[in-house]
Amino acid sequence: MLRLLWTLLVAVPLAAGAAELKPWSGGPTPALELEDLAGQVHRLADYRGKVVLVNFWATWCEPCRAEMPSIDGLRSSLDGKPFQVLAVNLAEPLSRIEKFAGTMPLHFPLLRDRDGAVAKAWRARLLPASFLIGRDGRIRYVAYGELDWTSEPVRSVVDQLLREEAPGQRRAARDAPPPAQKAPAARAAPSSAADRTRRHA
Amino acid sequence: MNRRLFLQSSAALAAQSLPWNYARAAAGWRTFETTTRVEISDAFGVARAWVPMPLEADNDWQKTIGNSWSGNARTARIVHDGKYGMALLYVEWPEKEMNPVVEVTSRFMTRDRAVDFSRPAEIDLSAAEREFFTAPTELIPTDGIVRKTALDITKGAKSDVEKARAIYEWIVDNTFRDPKTRGCGVGDVKSLLESGNLGGKCADLNALYVGLARSVGVPARDVYGVRVAPSKYGYKSLGVGTANVTKAQHCRAEFFARGFGWVPVDPADVRKVVLEEPPGNLAVKDEKVVAARTRLFGSWEMNWLAYNTAHDVQLPNATKAPKKPFLMYVNAECDGEMRDELEPDSVKYTITARELSV
Repeated sequence: MLRLLWTLLVAVPLAAGAAELKPWSGGPTPALELEDLAGQVHRLADYRGKVVLVNFWATWCEPCRAEMPSIDGLRSSLDGKPFQVLAVNLAEPLSRIEKFAGTMPLHFPLLRDRDGAVAKAWRARLLPASFLIGRDGRIRYVAYGELDWTSEPVRSVVDQLLREEAPGQRRAARDAPPPAQKAPAARAAPSSAADRTRRHA
Repeated sequence: MNRRLFLQSSAALAAQSLPWNYARAAAGWRTFETTTRVEISDAFGVARAWVPMPLEADNDWQKTIGNSWSGNARTARIVHDGKYGMALLYVEWPEKEMNPVVEVTSRFMTRDRAVDFSRPAEIDLSAAEREFFTAPTELIPTDGIVRKTALDITKGAKSDVEKARAIYEWIVDNTFRDPKTRGCGVGDVKSLLESGNLGGKCADLNALYVGLARSVGVPARDVYGVRVAPSKYGYKSLGVGTANVTKAQHCRAEFFARGFGWVPVDPADVRKVVLEEPPGNLAVKDEKVVAARTRLFGSWEMNWLAYNTAHDVQLPNATKAPKKPFLMYVNAECDGEMRDELEPDSVKYTITARELSV
């Protein structure tokens, strides 16, 4: 019932002139296994237990570039909480992505979908395409177009996902400390992945 | 390892390690970007727009890299026509938005395609596909005068290729490009034949090709799109000379031949060469026309972006739009009233195209 209520609440436009964050109804979550700019492999499954924002983007996509700072802003505001951003570049040369990254400090991994196969599997036909993944590893919300990721409505959705139980989390733990601290370390992203994230800062 | 094997292995390894775009370029692929900007003037009430998008399914001659949108719309999403798999961008603005605008950017790759009729392979359509691509549409009937005309044209022809060739030659010899035709024409095949006036533009002449082919059992389809670059074969009339391709929409055709697959044809472009290739009004026996006529049965120069192959299109969420024979232009409505897709003052849009170096 609570989930239905949230679904209804966020199905409205989030801001004038912006894309909408809509509940996902597109079926199972496709796999995601891609290298970052340093060649390190990131798997969505590695981040089970965290809320993950999977953002498909390209340097030629103006709204993608425009929303990047707000994605980083959201990430920054959730520092210490089980939240991860994976930004998947669509089939561009490494040099172009690195040049872009040099102009905009981003504190999350930039992954390379070299042949666009992952974007196709995720049906990311319209950029920017953003998928919010729940702590259970399933896609929960989607947005096609530019969003202000630091806006209150978006933040509310993310907070709600963060409050949900991580898989395997004991029911008894539900009333203990803030939701963001409830994700068991064992289910958070491996420390090596966190280190890799920092390397792309 | 001998030298040839070494070179082959090296080339294969190099291709694997190259970024996708570079590897494709090596195989003859060119990369383009189109930007479609739509502004609805004098907006009132809820505004909606429908923007054609590149073919969604990749093939041997066109691959979509990605699309993006920006603007002040409330909603922008890719929707599909269930029958033909056509993708289009549906855009909606709220009532309070007085200056609706959306800009859609698409990146895609193309490469020239040609069928080698000397090398048949095991390629065929299923019975259901054959039925689908020989079925009539609202403006392309396959009985009556259409079938009678096609039977006359294909008398003595046995294979699908022979029938398709006979129809192609007949279109080139008996139709003409009418510069006064609005847009690209509407493709009303029956009216065209009944009137005896076989003038029109690409959506008329190539729809006639498709209808005649379908009526004698040869699977065929129109492919709607837009030209994006000059012709490298030197035909001024078969390409665009500027980055602004707003009025460069062009429809082509394909027929299916067992053993060869979908075969590209474009008899309408042969008639365009006749009318428009400088100095203009060329004779059918002019060497430029002869060369184009030979080339446009079985090959396409891919200085063109394919949108879709759909007919009888019902625009999703349109208030009261009738079915459209095809979708090749931007469509829009305000407060329930459709704007004229061919009237630039009511739906102001521009399409620009550029080739990208990879």
